Amino acid sequence: MRAIVIEDDLDIQKQIVDRLQQEGFAVDYTDNGSEGLYLLQEYPCDVAIIDLGLPEMSGLEVIKAIRNEGNSVPVLILTARGRWQDKVEGLDAGADDYLVKPFHHEEMMARIRVLIRRASGWSDSRIVCDPVSLDTATQRTYVGEREVDLTAFEYKVLEYLMMHAGEVISKTVLTEHLYDDEADNDSNVIEVFIRRLRQKLDPDESLQPIETLRGRGYRFTLVRAEQN
Amino acid sequence: MYSIKNRLTLISMIVLTIFMILTAIALERAVVKRALQAEEDRLELLIYGLLAAVDRNRSGSSITISHERLFESSLMTEGSGLSAMLYNEQREIIWRSRSMVANFPDIETMEPGDWRFDIVDLNSSRYFRRAFAMQWPDVRDQLQHYDVVVWKNADRHFNDVDRFRQTLWSWLIITTILLLLVMYLVMMWSLRPLKQVGREVKAIEDRKQNEFESRYPREIKPLTENLNILLNREQLQRQRYRNAMDDLAHSLKTPLAVLKGFSTANALDQTEIKTLNEQVDRMNQIVSYQLQKATNVAGGEIVRPLDLVPLTTRLISALEKVYQARAIKVEVELPDRVMLRMDEGDCMEVIGNLFDNAFKYGKNRVRVEGRLQNQTELVLEIEDDGQGLEPGEIEKILKRGTRLDEASEGQGIGLAVVADIVMSYNIAMTFAESKLGGLAVKLVFQIA
Repeated sequence: MRAIVIEDDLDIQKQIVDRLQQEGFAVDYTDNGSEGLYLLQEYPCDVAIIDLGLPEMSGLEVIKAIRNEGNSVPVLILTARGRWQDKVEGLDAGADDYLVKPFHHEEMMARIRVLIRRASGWSDSRIVCDPVSLDTATQRTYVGEREVDLTAFEYKVLEYLMMHAGEVISKTVLTEHLYDDEADNDSNVIEVFIRRLRQKLDPDESLQPIETLRGRGYRFTLVRAEQN
Repeated sequence: MYSIKNRLTLISMIVLTIFMILTAIALERAVVKRALQAEEDRLELLIYGLLAAVDRNRSGSSITISHERLFESSLMTEGSGLSAMLYNEQREIIWRSRSMVANFPDIETMEPGDWRFDIVDLNSSRYFRRAFAMQWPDVRDQLQHYDVVVWKNADRHFNDVDRFRQTLWSWLIITTILLLLVMYLVMMWSLRPLKQVGREVKAIEDRKQNEFESRYPREIKPLTENLNILLNREQLQRQRYRNAMDDLAHSLKTPLAVLKGFSTANALDQTEIKTLNEQVDRMNQIVSYQLQKATNVAGGEIVRPLDLVPLTTRLISALEKVYQARAIKVEVELPDRVMLRMDEGDCMEVIGNLFDNAFKYGKNRVRVEGRLQNQTELVLEIEDDGQGLEPGEIEKILKRGTRLDEASEGQGIGLAVVADIVMSYNIAMTFAESKLGGLAVKLVFQIA
């Protein structure tokens, strides 16, 4: 998953970025609104964490600008102003959730995960495409009753593919959403991880959960389970 | 009588009426007196005319008045209303005018040279009587006493005076009414700027305008200009104050957020992390509570009436967005329009916190019902189907910063802030068990 963090207080920014990276997110970050808007316009991401009190361009203006452009990325606003008027203004401007400073980082992560799942049409913390299921809270993977041991990067690839089950995901999109730095982009590495995932999820090749579409990318073929 | 217009109208009416009555009385008296004086003078002239016609009688023992030498023809015409007679010393009438038809009473004795004028009621008529006592020498050059008396019917004079009085008072009443009307119109015109000031104050109060915009006369201009300065200064001051509060919130909460971040650092042991967390939470609650309290508006400024319905709709749609994953069913039943005299921020704080609690603690359902009571109150009930609260818990949660469930989201000051705001606006707030199973919060607002 890729997140964009726009926060002008460098200490908080660092804490958020560190925490997201610990959770396996690729993170772009900045300390001002106009650069944040540029990042949101130019780089695809799965979630944006935006502080409302930003220099140059306020968080509200950034959110309004991206929404006007049709960008529907989930936005979590951070605000020091705890008044409902400010929260409602932020949500009206296009934010999806708010967090009042100071906050527990666990709470922030929980909300970010909810927003990302919601954006992909998942309401539960368990992503299920029978018989494969992911528990996004504990980051555990199961095939039926069997728990599958995945590395952090394998988990990230699988989570992204399952979140977008049925959609064609190009290697470029996958690397953009999984790598922190463009310099790390190596499509061969992706191919390696896909091969390993296939082996771990489907050792007897009876499920065929990940389909390769030549020249186009990959598709998670297993059907999403109905949400309650 | 708490109206300048009424006071001015009443005073003007009294003063004008008294003035007009006094004027009329003085005028009437002057005119009547002058008319009477004119009659007196006219009769005196007539007596001089009679004296000019004095002649000796044939025997020469007495005097008489020659009809041929009289210039006043009325004395020659019978029933003309003007009569004259001449008395000798023995009070005998020695001459009378041909016009005399009635018998007039004799006059009292007068000293030679005396003049007398009086009004006498006689046979249901009134008469002017003018008399002059004189001495005239006889043939032996002895001075004899004579009285010349003139009677004139005064009915016409008094009829004229009555007519004059009627005309005078009629015109006086008409003039007074017209003057009062003109004065009233002048007063309305003069007081119009004050009325305009009142209208503009109302518009400012209703937030339809920010300051006095009309052009005012010289006398009121300093007042409205100074009020404008005061309003602008107050608005700026309030804005500055709110900005300062926001800055304070930002500058205090950001370091708190940093500290909070450190509390998960690996370098700290569990006890240190717990202590740090507790202290940061405590500081945060104090800062949040005091900031919320400081920015409450009640009683501090003029607030315009606020429609609760769109505000409620806005809050519900914001909360539905936040709690989308919970798929809570929200039932809203509100009148079309309910105006409250409350600051928007404060109202949002009260409703927002209560709705947020209902969404947070409700399982599947939240119900919001507003109904009018006695046309002066709005009863707003917010219910959820959560676990509800025990009476002791309610008391505890209303205290500042108390948090029942540390694991729950939020800062734990929501209800304490709500309690503070509702108290400052005199809004009644009660808690009960909801029919849905959870908590029901009932608020009673005064309608604007």
